[in-house]
Amino acid sequence: MWVWFSKLGSPKWFYELSGKWLPWLIAAMVIFMTIGLVWGLLFLPPDYQQGFTSRILIVHVAVAGTSLAFFPLMFVAGTITLVWRMKLADMVAKNAAILGAWFSFITLATGSLWGSVMWGTWWEWTDSRLVSMLFQLFLLLGVISLRSALEDSDTAAKACALLSIVGCINVVIIKYSVEWWNTLHQVSSPVTTDASSPNGPEFWIATLIMIVAVYLFLSVSLILSTRNEILERERRSQWVQDLVLKS
Amino acid sequence: MTEKQTTTSAAFWATLKRDLLIAFKKKNDIVNPFMFFIIVVSLFPIGISPESDRLTEIAAGVIWISVLLASMLSMDNLYRSDFEDGSLEQLLLSPHPLFFLVLAKNISHWLVSGLPVVLVAPLLAYMLALPEEAYGTLILSLLLGTPIMSLLGSIAVALTVGLGSRGLILAVITLPMSVPILIFGTLAVQSTLNSQSPAGYLSLMLVMLSVSVSLAPLASAAALKISVN
Repeated sequence: MWVWFSKLGSPKWFYELSGKWLPWLIAAMVIFMTIGLVWGLLFLPPDYQQGFTSRILIVHVAVAGTSLAFFPLMFVAGTITLVWRMKLADMVAKNAAILGAWFSFITLATGSLWGSVMWGTWWEWTDSRLVSMLFQLFLLLGVISLRSALEDSDTAAKACALLSIVGCINVVIIKYSVEWWNTLHQVSSPVTTDASSPNGPEFWIATLIMIVAVYLFLSVSLILSTRNEILERERRSQWVQDLVLKS
Repeated sequence: MTEKQTTTSAAFWATLKRDLLIAFKKKNDIVNPFMFFIIVVSLFPIGISPESDRLTEIAAGVIWISVLLASMLSMDNLYRSDFEDGSLEQLLLSPHPLFFLVLAKNISHWLVSGLPVVLVAPLLAYMLALPEEAYGTLILSLLLGTPIMSLLGSIAVALTVGLGSRGLILAVITLPMSVPILIFGTLAVQSTLNSQSPAGYLSLMLVMLSVSVSLAPLASAAALKISVN
């Protein structure tokens, strides 16, 4: 276990191993993404209340669920950076912050698209999920801007690791306090149709396929951007120069 | 060379005293955020509405948001001058646990920036037509909430202490984290206005305060060690 763990710290080892995984991951991603998108967006029967708008939810739910994974991921990566000084964890954390911000943004965008039809408004402060997703986006942007402000990469790695850990705890507190705030402020509840509607099983299967697809997309983009980061940071090392000469 | 043995509590009090002394020598650093707070609060009635009904509704939120903004400004000089003159490095080299020294600095920061704001809050609450019965809750919520801001902000300041210009990045990092304080602080006042008991919100703020007193200085200390190489 520990041999495996310390091996993982070596960027070169990760680069080689992820190179072997990537084709499989990409293939699986393409398959799931195609099935999910084509079926979900083109063939799924309309919801009895929402009509065809419910198809947006297939994408929205998958992206939203995935975007909740970023802070825990950065928490783990940050702990590894601070405790074991593993460079690879920081490279993953750096790209996770950027990807996480994009995922949060897409969640908000698809959510408002759906909301603009179903609730008649693009933005609704009374929905606690919208509000806490917005603040998750702000926190992620804070981590990104801290990293771009700090020039020394070692300091930036540790500082962002610490901020990610604090941020992850904070996101949980924000989520619950915003929910509380809402139950007290909420006059009418616009969110009734998505969870309790008697949809057929195909709606949930399509969502499930899409969730797997988006998680695969997340892994592929994270691995690709981490590989990029490895090449950039290790550009002075022998194996990277060999690799460049070979290609 | 003979080393004089000091206890950790002596170091704690020495740090606290030193920081308070410095604060009173440089009065600008205390007065400006305080003035900022009062000015921001007085802009709201001009910008929104002078009607007292409207003002009553927004009073708690206006005061709380202005407190958060003002604490951002005062936060900036928490570690900066110490970083620039090298005394921060001395602090890190001290044999005493950094936790208590950081805590002392945070307490002194709160005493000179948070406490004045709490004390002037009733006056501003009166100007914003907040009913009298809510004054007590407002003051209590501010008493519990402003130290949390000092403790949380301290982490962000410690992370950015080496940067040249960091006024804005401090706000970008800290303000989203202050959402729970803002929610419970304003809800406490709001519930008093609806003649309900604010005890639940205030005790939640007390919980947040005790958690941040015990954990935030740890994070600040770790952040200082990262920033000061």
